[in-house]
Amino acid sequence: MLLVDGDPDRAAAVREGLEASGCEVVGLLADLFDLVARVRACGADVLVCALDDPSRDAIEAMALLNRNEPRPVVLFAQSGGEAQIEAALEAGVAAYVIEGLAPARVRPVMEVAIRRFRAHEALKRELSETRATLAERKIIERAKGHLMRGRRLTEAEAHATLRRMAMDRGQRLVEAARGLLPNDAPTQREI
Amino acid sequence: MDLSSPALLTASLSIGYVPLTDAAVLVVAEDLGFFARHGLRVALSPAASWAGLRDRVAYGALDAAHMLYPMPIAAALGLVGPAMPLTVAAGLGRNGNTIVLSTALAQEMGDAPMPLAALRFAEVARGRNLRLAVVHPVSSHNYLLRHWLESGVLDPDRDVTMSVLPPPAMPAALASGAIDGFCVGEPWGSAAVLAGAGRAVVASGDIWPDHPEKVFVFRASAAAAEPQAAIAATAAIIAAARWLDEPANHPQAAAILARHAFPSLDLAAITPGLGGWVPEPDGGTRRLSHPLSFREALPPHMAHAAFWLSCMRRGGHLPAQIDQAQALAPWNNDLFLRAASALGEPLHAPTPLPTESAA
Repeated sequence: MLLVDGDPDRAAAVREGLEASGCEVVGLLADLFDLVARVRACGADVLVCALDDPSRDAIEAMALLNRNEPRPVVLFAQSGGEAQIEAALEAGVAAYVIEGLAPARVRPVMEVAIRRFRAHEALKRELSETRATLAERKIIERAKGHLMRGRRLTEAEAHATLRRMAMDRGQRLVEAARGLLPNDAPTQREI
Repeated sequence: MDLSSPALLTASLSIGYVPLTDAAVLVVAEDLGFFARHGLRVALSPAASWAGLRDRVAYGALDAAHMLYPMPIAAALGLVGPAMPLTVAAGLGRNGNTIVLSTALAQEMGDAPMPLAALRFAEVARGRNLRLAVVHPVSSHNYLLRHWLESGVLDPDRDVTMSVLPPPAMPAALASGAIDGFCVGEPWGSAAVLAGAGRAVVASGDIWPDHPEKVFVFRASAAAAEPQAAIAATAAIIAAARWLDEPANHPQAAAILARHAFPSLDLAAITPGLGGWVPEPDGGTRRLSHPLSFREALPPHMAHAAFWLSCMRRGGHLPAQIDQAQALAPWNNDLFLRAASALGEPLHAPTPLPTESAA
């Protein structure tokens, strides 16, 4: 099996899952340029590919031009029901098989890949949410500091002022805080 | 239907595109509020590959998308990817691709003025198995490049090695020496020239003048379920193409494209393609005889689709037996005709097909 994924963390997670379920992963590919040569050289039966990977058009070109080369299977629907296709799409995984391989043998591979893709995405989302919360808290603190200095308020007064502004404008606290800060103040980037 | 009363309609559509200058109609329609003015809420998203875009349309994650003109044929026949009926709503552009060769190779060709003669290219290229890249197998890029090579008496399957790379990867691939040349839609050709990687030698409009290039398509079931929304979206596309037809709007269009589609590119790479120019390595620009244009490309024409179908057959992309009516079914032009008549948009005549030698 050959894994094609431009996201190295996710690829590593998917590889580990596939190997734990008894698949042999013969290669991992993130490089666009020697894709065709590597696919030919590696002797894989199945290619598992990220749905949005830029290499997909190259893999399809191989499939279209030479029947002995990888053929898309899951998203090409001769195997797997609608539910599995949707699960694959949602998780962001596409698969290609060498012609002649029974679709039934691809299904367990896909199931592992789908689970791994999903778990990885959930992890990424959680991380970015945590980061966002942290960043928002910093903005609010900075706006309070701004109010305390500018209007000579205590921290509690500054907090109350900010809350009132947010309520009056129907904004979230962080939006009101952002409105108070000068435009050149570092906001989101600085984490 | 009365398109002047958009308040009557509120619908949401998800639309996808590949970051190319000929997605301008979609990007501008969203940014300048043409979709909103026609009562639509649109979520517009870029995709990294044509295959990914098509699959998202097939399985309902997108309702409509920017596509290469021959792609709905491949989808109708299930050649690669899921077999699915699509409905072509409008053309999104004509011309707009360039063949760019590495700086060294262009020098060997004698830095001749555009368009480089295919016979001259063949003199230098014969016996060297040069590596040329296109963006997708089922694309005008592939078929027009193959035709150009054949007109120089080169066999595209034997005398060169053709490969597929995504458009944004082309400039780096050329600069690194991984390929010797490519055919790609703007702004990626201009970006490669400005990066010092190569020189544009032929425009796709030199091979087939004013060739149809991209289409705006709906998943047939999505258009059938919400015909009013599909017509309204098509009307917004027509409005955006009219706006892009004004050269005075191009600087703003370039800025909009830069913001949404090409965050990594300089405006200098985006502007030339919109105006029908291509940058030269010496810092000058060259005017293309058949520039990218939007408005004349709007009406979908089944004759154009039939021509691309014949190219697919010549390229060996079709099985022996196909149902031609099924292959061309996406070009039922009902959506376009209804939107065009509501806006009083004239039906521009189809571009003549290439002469016998090209077919």
